[in-house]
Amino acid sequence: MTLEEVRLAAADNLWSAIAPELILASLALVLLVLEMVLPKRHHGLIPDIASAGILGTLLGLFLNWHPVTLGTETFSGLLQHSVTGQVMRAFFLLAALFTCLLARITLARQPMPRVEFYHVLLVVTAAMMLLVQANHFLMLFVALETLTIGLYILVSYLRTTTASLEAGLKYLVMGALSSGLLLFGIVLLYGVTGNPALPLHSGNAMHYEELGLFLTGNPDNFLASLGIVLVLAGVAFKIGAFPFQVWVPDVYQGAPTPVTAFLAVASKGAGFAVLLALCGPQGPFTPYAWLVMPILTAMAGATILFGNIAALTQHNVKRLIGLSGVAHAGFLLLGVVAAAGSPMAVGAVYFYLFAYLLASFAVFGVMAHVAGTDDAGQELDHYAGLSRQSPFLATVLAVGLGSLAGIPPLAGFMGKLFVFIAAFQAGARWLLLIAAAGVVVSIYYYFGWIKAAFFDAWTPPAETTAPAKPAGTPVGWVAGLSLGTLALASIVLGFYQGPLGQWLMLW
Amino acid sequence: MGTLLFNLFAIFTVVTAVGVIVCRNTVNGAMCLLLSLVGVAGLFVGLHAYLLAFLLLLVYAGAIVALFLFIIMLLDTKGQDRPRLSGIPVAARVLAVALIGAGVASFIARGRLNSPDLATVPDVGSNLKLYAYQLFTTYLLPVQVLGFLLLIAMLGVIVLSKRFEGMEDVK
Repeated sequence: MTLEEVRLAAADNLWSAIAPELILASLALVLLVLEMVLPKRHHGLIPDIASAGILGTLLGLFLNWHPVTLGTETFSGLLQHSVTGQVMRAFFLLAALFTCLLARITLARQPMPRVEFYHVLLVVTAAMMLLVQANHFLMLFVALETLTIGLYILVSYLRTTTASLEAGLKYLVMGALSSGLLLFGIVLLYGVTGNPALPLHSGNAMHYEELGLFLTGNPDNFLASLGIVLVLAGVAFKIGAFPFQVWVPDVYQGAPTPVTAFLAVASKGAGFAVLLALCGPQGPFTPYAWLVMPILTAMAGATILFGNIAALTQHNVKRLIGLSGVAHAGFLLLGVVAAAGSPMAVGAVYFYLFAYLLASFAVFGVMAHVAGTDDAGQELDHYAGLSRQSPFLATVLAVGLGSLAGIPPLAGFMGKLFVFIAAFQAGARWLLLIAAAGVVVSIYYYFGWIKAAFFDAWTPPAETTAPAKPAGTPVGWVAGLSLGTLALASIVLGFYQGPLGQWLMLW
Repeated sequence: MGTLLFNLFAIFTVVTAVGVIVCRNTVNGAMCLLLSLVGVAGLFVGLHAYLLAFLLLLVYAGAIVALFLFIIMLLDTKGQDRPRLSGIPVAARVLAVALIGAGVASFIARGRLNSPDLATVPDVGSNLKLYAYQLFTTYLLPVQVLGFLLLIAMLGVIVLSKRFEGMEDVK
């Protein structure tokens, strides 16, 4: 490597191309400085500053939606900037914004330091934004580890409660295992692609394009197939697809509610963005579709069935939403499977993710308000009489759950419809049948929850030792405005997809 | 000379590695691991991979084994009598021996690789200067991201382990 080459490589590091991530990272550092500098009585401002910063970054992203680097590679091929990358950046920023909002409600009840929560959240969001633009396994792994380690901290954040600690430990063990599988897969792919004895071998084997070229030239290499399967297993852990979903119920229940929401929405979104980048139409794994597609198809079917059936018997709402999240991962996998045979499938998956974001945060917002100090013990019974105590929360809950269940005309219905149309175009008939059955099953438990909130259950006249309902939190104006916006967006997006559909190339 | 050194270091590595499993006292086991790593570092020097040898000594022998020793001494474990063999441990041992056997057999049968012309292979990573050039040009972004990873890991340890006395302390 001569000095000239070094100079060229350095010139390719276009820091302006990752301006949103840089802003988030600097904001995270500013929060820590503010904690030291500000007097203690002003520390309540720090969450506001974090939220305002995320909102500002989001606005900046929309104002500069078509940056000059769009469609090019920067950082010597480590990153590739695309329209889907922009869409996912907006997705993660929205998720982080709503998580900040939930955290203000939930953390106010806990004797814990606050600033570090927002700091870690901002760093994790920036890592996710880099992850979806990664075009190189090295970048992928570094970004993935950053976000996973941040999530370990966030999951066990309420360390005074055993549930949160248990969740953190389980997530740590399972996360370490999945990272190990992923890394082992990457190393196998790297090793076999760099083998000079094979045709089309490459010295830059971690780059997606080079890897794709190599795989095209060697369509039935055993080590490469093993590597691909291990990488898929590692990603399947992150999205909670069957049979790698065992950690989901306990971790979702024990994690603080805002973190559960962030895990369910942003972490899943990141997993699917990676999966689409690897197995999607232009992904490096396309030459191995004979191997990847049957695995994903089986995984999708099993995930839909498992998630929906396991959610049927749950009484804890956080476990319920966790297992229904597994089912949603199955529907999204259906979209990934369809991506091989349908041009609209990729857009459909992203649309589904947005509909899922709106509906999930509406439901989690209501959960944060209804819950008491015992964050892990939120039962369905606590929702009894919600429609009388707070008609607003009950309405938001109904819209959110209806959208998750896929009731027309809400956004969740359109999301499912787009994915199903894509699957139909791709000819995945059997999977479609399973998915339709899954939707029918899911209506049962979503409507059970709505029923708990709207219709009074018969209670025995003599008050037994039933656990008392937690007091809950009154709805502030910021939270009310946000929840209203989420519910309204779920309704509007069901009727009119507008520019979002255009960006996603749905038509 | 090179062969002699290789043989010396190889024997040293294997003998001390066996010591790691055989030693009853865990502290002696950790010290054997340290010596074994020194042997591997010597082998790397024989391959002209000075950077790898240096990193191995610095990171593994220097930091990680020292950490092992700390934890062993904190737990204050003593060498115990061997547990009686039964069931799963026996099966695990048989499996381990079988795997080693398979490894040796495959090494003897297919151990010769068609080595490419070494002159054409770029020696990235073997040379500290090249390594540093790559780290601070091509891979600068991952290095920066790792900086943030270490920062949040450190913060996480503080948040999850520090004792907070009541709400007044944290507001």
